[in-house]
Amino acid sequence: MKKLITLFVNDKEYEIAVAPNRTLTQVLREDLDLLGTKEGCGVGDCGACTVILDGRPVNSCLVLAVQANGSQITTIEGVAEGQNLHPVQQAFVDHGAVQCGFCTPGMILSAKSLLEKNAHPTELETREALSGNLCRCTGYQKIVEAVQAAAKTMKK
Amino acid sequence: MLPKFDYHEPDNMRSALELMSSLKSNAKIIAGGTDILVNMKKGVISPKYLVSLGKMKELFVLEQRKKGIAIGSHVIISELAESGLLWKNFSVIAKAASVLGSPLIRNRATIGGNIVTARPAADLPPALMAVGAKVELKGKKGRREVSLDEFFLGPGKTVIRADEILTKIIINELPPFTGGDYMKLGHRKALEIAIVAVAARVTLDKPQGIIKNVRIILSAVAPQAIHAVSAEKVLINEKPTEKLIERAATLAMQDCSPITDIRGGAEYRKEIVKVLTKRTLLNAVKAVNRKKVKGER
Repeated sequence: MKKLITLFVNDKEYEIAVAPNRTLTQVLREDLDLLGTKEGCGVGDCGACTVILDGRPVNSCLVLAVQANGSQITTIEGVAEGQNLHPVQQAFVDHGAVQCGFCTPGMILSAKSLLEKNAHPTELETREALSGNLCRCTGYQKIVEAVQAAAKTMKK
Repeated sequence: MLPKFDYHEPDNMRSALELMSSLKSNAKIIAGGTDILVNMKKGVISPKYLVSLGKMKELFVLEQRKKGIAIGSHVIISELAESGLLWKNFSVIAKAASVLGSPLIRNRATIGGNIVTARPAADLPPALMAVGAKVELKGKKGRREVSLDEFFLGPGKTVIRADEILTKIIINELPPFTGGDYMKLGHRKALEIAIVAVAARVTLDKPQGIIKNVRIILSAVAPQAIHAVSAEKVLINEKPTEKLIERAATLAMQDCSPITDIRGGAEYRKEIVKVLTKRTLLNAVKAVNRKKVKGER
């Protein structure tokens, strides 16, 4: 039986009827057309499906949409302000931290959460915070550099 | 894709217990979902009903009590890893929490989930056993407390009945001059399942004194987390010299029964048990003596 749920995604309110066996990833992509959230492994290993749920980055493939009822969700689509990229996004562009792009939304959301909690992360803290997000182009070095550069711009 | 199921979200504990006793083994509780949803996607299990206890606020509380702490079964792992209270009084738990899964997993996975799934390599059970934790189980007919030492029956198996709910984890205050440590060896530093993990806890009678209480818990080297019984025995009422700790660590190798699997061979695991037992014990003793220095200042 479908359940009626309310999601607050990128500051917009959505009321949707969902079957209990649908994940948050599926509902974001298929019902709300927010295709920035990717489904990679589907079992919580790769982090391509990362979204920020009530202030914490999580694997949306392991969250039932019904469990997210009433929650605040930020997807990659909600990170930029209008035409202006978020400092983390800008740093990814500037440092060549995007290769195929599949892991990028998750990387950026994990990095954004890190910088909100810890404005001056060390390289080790940065790597640790991104350890649930896999990049198979193996571009980690540039990603870490981008996050550290973003920390500096955000400080200004 | 997840198989089909019905989803229930009872408003209070009474209706939750009612529900669990009527649905019995057709129902599974979903907390963080990081284990159960993976198993459902892989087709390992397909429960007819999932029951969420998300509306019961009391299950999400980590609270200091007169003589210890109580941790609600739905407290997420990140919260344990970030808790100043835990780092101060039960650092072995905070340390185990901080190396569980990935940051993303830690933001969903719960302490109760890490216990009831009864994985032989789970991170929290050894740390919790090292400090003598108990769990509170509630059923329609009443509540009971079970020591974690008696909770696990084998991989995926525990004493919890189908109509019972794990509501909290209770840990009594530790005696003075107690130190602990948790160490896990994996193939990589993050998102890893332990090849071997060891939690140690030592209580001395006074700084630089003799060992009055010791718990050494070995993980991923038996069907469930186990005590290194003979290692514990040799340490009791003795001074924790490096030589004695070395002997205890060697004995710990005989206390476990590891298997060979994709993560490591049985012999290798035994060697690692020795290394990690020694290191965690030395760190636990060091932690006691460090505390004393602080107190004097």
